[in-house]
Amino acid sequence: METTQRSTKTYQRFSVLHRLLHIIIIVNFTLLAITGFLLRFSNWDWAGFLVSLMGGAAAAGTLHRFSAVFLYVGILIHVCWLFYYKFALKGQWFGPASLVPKTKDFSDLYQNLRYVFGKGKPPMFDRFSYLQKVDYWAVMFGMQSMGITGLFMWFPEYFSTIFPGYWINVANHFHFHEAVLAVLYIGIVHMSDTHFLPEVFPIEKSIFNGKISEERFKQEHPEEWKRVNPVQE
Amino acid sequence: MNSKTIVAIVVGVIFFATLAAITMTPDRDELINTSAVAAEVAPVEQQTEQEPIVEPVIEPLICLDCHRSPNIETNEGIISSQTFCYDCHKEKTCVRKSDDKELVLQVVPEDFIKQQPLHQYIACIDCHKDVAQSPHKSLANAQCRDCHSVHGENTAHDPHLRVACQACHFESKPVELNSETGAVSLASIDGKGNAISLTSHAMADMTDETSCEKCHVSGNPVGAPASVLPSKSFMCILCHNAPLAMGHPIFGVAFLIFLLGIFATLYFWYQGKVCGEEESIHRKIGLSSESLWEIIFSRQIFGLLKIFILDIVFQRRLLQESVQRWSMHALIFTSILLRLVLGLFTSVGFFFNPESDMMLALIDKNHAFTAFANDLLGLFILLGILWAVAQRYIIKPAHVKTEIRDNLALIIIGLLVVIGFVLEAARIASTGIPADMTGGAFVGAPLAAVLGVLGLDWSAVYPYLWYAHGFLAALLIAYLPFGKMRHVFTTPMTYFVEKVAGVKRGERV
Repeated sequence: METTQRSTKTYQRFSVLHRLLHIIIIVNFTLLAITGFLLRFSNWDWAGFLVSLMGGAAAAGTLHRFSAVFLYVGILIHVCWLFYYKFALKGQWFGPASLVPKTKDFSDLYQNLRYVFGKGKPPMFDRFSYLQKVDYWAVMFGMQSMGITGLFMWFPEYFSTIFPGYWINVANHFHFHEAVLAVLYIGIVHMSDTHFLPEVFPIEKSIFNGKISEERFKQEHPEEWKRVNPVQE
Repeated sequence: MNSKTIVAIVVGVIFFATLAAITMTPDRDELINTSAVAAEVAPVEQQTEQEPIVEPVIEPLICLDCHRSPNIETNEGIISSQTFCYDCHKEKTCVRKSDDKELVLQVVPEDFIKQQPLHQYIACIDCHKDVAQSPHKSLANAQCRDCHSVHGENTAHDPHLRVACQACHFESKPVELNSETGAVSLASIDGKGNAISLTSHAMADMTDETSCEKCHVSGNPVGAPASVLPSKSFMCILCHNAPLAMGHPIFGVAFLIFLLGIFATLYFWYQGKVCGEEESIHRKIGLSSESLWEIIFSRQIFGLLKIFILDIVFQRRLLQESVQRWSMHALIFTSILLRLVLGLFTSVGFFFNPESDMMLALIDKNHAFTAFANDLLGLFILLGILWAVAQRYIIKPAHVKTEIRDNLALIIIGLLVVIGFVLEAARIASTGIPADMTGGAFVGAPLAAVLGVLGLDWSAVYPYLWYAHGFLAALLIAYLPFGKMRHVFTTPMTYFVEKVAGVKRGERV
């Protein structure tokens, strides 16, 4: 396996910063999910036992908030990088390599569905396929609403001076149900659309080592390949 | 038949009347209040035309009126419990007499609600735990610590563990020091010997630093430093349990200079070629971080970890060169490292679990273990510095070449430790901590006795010493990336680079 990898040329798909941010999200998201659900299901015996391993409910709550802040710092670093990308690297925020949804994504979806049912060619993805864009925006928007509802519960005294008190309860419900949604989304959709693909099973390594082989580059991101190597095509 | 019936009725009536007369007893209340009622009847009848004055009917105390435990977890229980206390305490006549002094114990409900808007929803006996017993007298203050944690380094600039919560948080100014326990609390007798009523629940404005000046003024009775000192900085974590705060602006300046030095060093390093790239800094950072990533997520990391533990923590290479140099270096380096570990452990542990006994012991400077550890490690640093000074100026071996920057590093660290010990001694001397509580401070306590002989007002000297210590610490931080102390970063870096490059060479890059 290693010999074949060495023989084929690899390209850099993700920079070190993006790999690092992905690891920050993995670690903190997992911690948030574990501590959050343990606190939510505190009346269950096993949850009580696991929370006692963490040093009690107060410690689990502190860990939950700590991870939340850590995760959000990651988001902020990413936003800073977007500005660096635009102004220092002269990149395009809305270019074809960006994660912004485009009409091409909808035609790609239609074409992919046709392909799945045996009609026509597979869609020609650019740097990010429509599913990868959904993955990105799910996290990006999810973190904002989880952050806001979480802040409501973290500082209820402050927020109840601005909004009616029942908003705290509403925030609590949103926070829990969105957490369920997020965990299900990551566990089912994100896992299956990236890591459980037959080509890469059991794990998609490119987000961890930053590399993508020339073969997969051509096959999975043909539009970007054309842009990067216009001469060879 | 008729006569028999009549006789039967008469006999029956007499029988039951007799029974009723035998069993009837006068009402208990009537028996007790006969005199009071008798006295009241006449005036009430006279004044009915004007305004009826309703005199409070003094009801007798029944045992269970006091000896009961209302469920203060419920709103009903809280209100009934509060009402019970207010029954007496809302009256101006609620006084305590001791030593011919009258102490008013009145608590006006309306004032209390204004003064304690949050605590109005809990029962009095939730805080005043020990009053609900016989005799009805509180020996302890209100028990804040049942719900609230103590402050760490950040909020109060010092844990203030011996200071009662009320001493700072309540408005009353006079404070006193208990010479037996070393505890500071609100005084119940003012300077002129008059009793002070502490029943006002008005809180001091803690956002206003002048509220600290009830203790932190010159000539205070509790031996507090004579001015309000700033908090420690997060950089103090090198040797102390430190808060997540910048502290005095001098630390901010020092930190900026430190960052500038690090940045300048990195900038200098990136002037060189990285993997053949000469022009773009962006590409250079990308390439170097790429190779760093590859090293971290490869087997090489274990080799680097080994170097970190053996060559950096335990200083193996220095030990191989010379046992004497290793010992001297270890006295300074290992002691600072251990104080850093202890400080980090305390700060993080206290953040997560402020109520644990271990954390309370670790943030307490007077606790036997904490004081002993700090004194011992400080003494080690001082011995190491003295040894180095002796090497340079008295023994003068051939390999030692003294430069000015070497002297500067030695002077800063040496003075820092010396002033640290004097600070500790001044704190012990001025606050009057009982001798049995300072057993751990085997350097500080004897030094405090010496300072006591000097007869200075150490609470007035303390702020100057503190600023001197803080200024030297800031100087050390600012000096780290420039002079002699730069080796703290460059030497480990050299070891790592040599390991990765796989060659033994004297110079880096």
